[in-house]
Amino acid sequence: MAAGTVMFAVSVLLLFAVVVFKWANGRRLAARQKRRVTYLKLLSQHVAAPGSTAEISIKEADDDAFIDALIDIRHALSSSSIDSLDGVIDRSGLIRHQAKRLRSRFPLGRRLRAVVSLAEIGDPGAARILMHHLKDRVPEIRVQSARGLARMRHTAAIDVILDRFHDETRWVQTRFAETLALFGRDAVWPLIAWIRVNHNYQGDGGVTEIIRILGIIGDSEVGPALAELLYTAEDPEVRIAIIETLGIIGGPLALRPLRRMIQSADWRIRAKAATAFSKIGDPSINPILREGLGDQSWWMRRNSAAALASLPGGIDLLYEAIGAPDQFTRDAAAEALADCGELIAARDRLESGKSDPRDAQLISYMHIPDPVTS
Amino acid sequence: MILDMMEWVGYTILTYFVLMQLYMFYLAVRSASVLRRSHHLDRFGRVGEMLSSNRVPPVSIVIAAYNEEQGIVEAVRSMAIVGYSRLEIVVANDGSTDDTLRRLIEAFDMEKVRIPYRPDIKTEPVRAIYRTHSPIRITVIDKENGGRADALNAGINAARYPYALCTDADVILDADCLIRSMRHVVEDRERTVCVGGNVRPLNGCSLELGHLVKATVPKKMIPRMQVLEYLRSFVTSRPAWSAMGALPIVSGAFGVWKRSAVIAIGGFEVGHLGEDMDLTMRMHRYHLAKGIPYRIVYEPAAVIWTEVPETTRVLRRQRIRWQRGLITSVRDFRQMTFSPRYGRLGMVTWPGMVLFEYLAPIVEFSGWIIVPTVLFMGAINIPVMFALLGVAFGAGVANSLLAILLDESFGFYNSPKDIARLVVMALIENLGFRQRTVVWRVRAFFGGKTTKIWGNMERRGVANLGTTPSKAA
Amino acid sequence: MQNEESNKSGLKRILVADDVEAVTTLLVTALEIAGYEVVVAENGQKAYELGTTGEFDLAVIDQLMPGLLGTEILQRWQGEGIDMPVIMLSGVEDDDVVVGSLDSGAIDYVHKPFRLPELMARIRKNLS
Repeated sequence: MAAGTVMFAVSVLLLFAVVVFKWANGRRLAARQKRRVTYLKLLSQHVAAPGSTAEISIKEADDDAFIDALIDIRHALSSSSIDSLDGVIDRSGLIRHQAKRLRSRFPLGRRLRAVVSLAEIGDPGAARILMHHLKDRVPEIRVQSARGLARMRHTAAIDVILDRFHDETRWVQTRFAETLALFGRDAVWPLIAWIRVNHNYQGDGGVTEIIRILGIIGDSEVGPALAELLYTAEDPEVRIAIIETLGIIGGPLALRPLRRMIQSADWRIRAKAATAFSKIGDPSINPILREGLGDQSWWMRRNSAAALASLPGGIDLLYEAIGAPDQFTRDAAAEALADCGELIAARDRLESGKSDPRDAQLISYMHIPDPVTS
Repeated sequence: MILDMMEWVGYTILTYFVLMQLYMFYLAVRSASVLRRSHHLDRFGRVGEMLSSNRVPPVSIVIAAYNEEQGIVEAVRSMAIVGYSRLEIVVANDGSTDDTLRRLIEAFDMEKVRIPYRPDIKTEPVRAIYRTHSPIRITVIDKENGGRADALNAGINAARYPYALCTDADVILDADCLIRSMRHVVEDRERTVCVGGNVRPLNGCSLELGHLVKATVPKKMIPRMQVLEYLRSFVTSRPAWSAMGALPIVSGAFGVWKRSAVIAIGGFEVGHLGEDMDLTMRMHRYHLAKGIPYRIVYEPAAVIWTEVPETTRVLRRQRIRWQRGLITSVRDFRQMTFSPRYGRLGMVTWPGMVLFEYLAPIVEFSGWIIVPTVLFMGAINIPVMFALLGVAFGAGVANSLLAILLDESFGFYNSPKDIARLVVMALIENLGFRQRTVVWRVRAFFGGKTTKIWGNMERRGVANLGTTPSKAA
Repeated sequence: MQNEESNKSGLKRILVADDVEAVTTLLVTALEIAGYEVVVAENGQKAYELGTTGEFDLAVIDQLMPGLLGTEILQRWQGEGIDMPVIMLSGVEDDDVVVGSLDSGAIDYVHKPFRLPELMARIRKNLS
């Protein structure tokens, strides 16, 4: 009997809790949404007409909704437009306030809000605090501190982040790498120095993440330095990352090491090298890519064909390859031509009566009536 | 003597229900802590911005389609603009007898192409392959009918990216769902072989142009009961299972699979009525047996919406089908039950599935017969019986309420009307609605074979569920 | 009627279509400060319908919106003879999308995230 009563009481309590909680939460979310819209308008005014005088109090700046609005505006605008947000907030007071929040051990939610607020507002006065919290217990706080420092271009943080890199989990490494990209060109030489030291690090060192960041930053000055590492890197994953990045920042100097890579015994390296060539855009590689159409690896054939489709003079080679004796070569070439829109273009040309003999050849190759069976 | 035995049986049955609810309660509490933790970190994690464009692993969305002419174009179009930068769509047309194929070809200006089809998984013959690049790369595999599993396998064969999101033609994907799921892949690329998502019933929600505008709890009882069931499963069970590393089922409506892993285990099982659970369990077994490190994760914030049965007839067919699939799986994986070799899956969650999902309808059904009989014969201690019944019933309601409460963190059903409808459902569920499904599930144990049919659901099609912003209930 | 009045008074009307609230708020604020009249559409369908009324002097449209895509809206407008300068916004860095937009009739193309002064300058230029 007692057990039944207890159960009944628990259920009633839960019922009550559900109703109240959900209703209250609904209203809270609605109110937050309204505030967010107000903050969006306020921030927009500051961006559109810098020098407008409305200030935001510390209490408002501490608001979740304000941080949301600030982040949204930052996303919509490219970085140089955002400098005009300076002067929006009573900054010194805010930094002190948020720093205090950040220093406390609980609750996690409030600490997170504090660090994100400091990071998004991006005032250099917060740099010291954020540097300290690069070593915080909570990974998310470390990451947000790094973002804030990156936003402020506080380059002293780069080495600290790199030092910690090996100790982080893969997910945190990815996110740290993203923040390093935010530093832009300032990070490039420290990164390449770190890569030089660590590229044969055994164990999950996250080297490939850092290499890819160089591609995102896009500064081709380090292209040659990176290309040299191809000769000494042992791990195929590292080589693949280097090759991918060279595709973006390598330039003509990367061609020679890439030519060696395209002959690699590892099909992944060959395939990545083919793609890298297409990104560099130098047609001198076309003959090698044409050979790649007959490679034993499907990925290599596909990447070579796709590369040819994007290089000057490559399309002609692809059309030619449709007549090749080898089935794989023909298929790879035809697929690439279809992918780059040539098939549709050929069909349109045929319909309007302006076609070329090779259009007909492509179309007849692709539209073979017998079913493809498994 | 017989009376004693029956008394014991009666007690056992009632204790069974108490245990079941306690197990659910444990899962619910565990799920609550998982959800709370991830809620905070996701709040400012801004997963979308964190994964910049060319660093996310590319994903192929694989859709199995059979007679979906109503909504296939809208579905594909809405998937094409999901928030993800490197995407392709593969539609496997499983020998549809209606206009599905033609509508796709016309809507997207597709060309029949001669692409080599690599049958890494054996499937029914492929008749033709069509392709377009606008608005994104879409491939349609036209094949002979072979069932949903076979169609998905064909789609996986034709997919060119290392990860495949296997889903259906009538689901609405939330804008962030792919990014949120793939974050688990980025977190641990070598080990992550599958990420499951959060499925919710679409019935009763307001759609506009293929996008969810407002989520509402349906007025009709049948879909409403299912909303509660899905909440219990996706909000209070799966997060706990996933945290234990022992997720026994990844929903067929949303599962991001590592293509190479699926091919290694031979793809979805054709003809199996519960191919999603089967693939998940086989994935576990393969990796555990071979000692390969892996993980299968559930992402509660990757939300998708799908239509659930609105009529008794369709619901009945679905439940029988599910139970039969479960029966097959319990048989296939019986060695894993209580086997320490399979870790928490073998010791906790799979036995839980066997005891409290598979056996439940039988136990409950026999309970309806035995307990009143024993009561009638005066053999059972009445206060104890009522206590046990009360606890079981009360715990059931409490679990449902807990699910509704935890759902608050998603912020979907917030109006007083929604809450009221859900609460009422939690209270009256056991007054016949659930009992009806029990009867059907017992029926599933008798007769019937696995077949290749699709379980003809009368779909109204995603397009028709909301061309004007209106509630479908 | 209101349109005639504003046209007489020389105020240019601009259609802004984007599903991201921050973008529309920014543009509305900036454009109104600059002295234009602005109407917002949150999705493709609404943008298309508003455009067909012919009341606007310029449109700024996001490529990726629920409902109709930016390029599809442009094609439909062209099909109906609506001859309004359109600036396309897009967050996707895909050459196909850029070329597709310009081919469909967009007068200009701006990447997101954008520089506000630059976008404003392009709007002014295309209005004159």
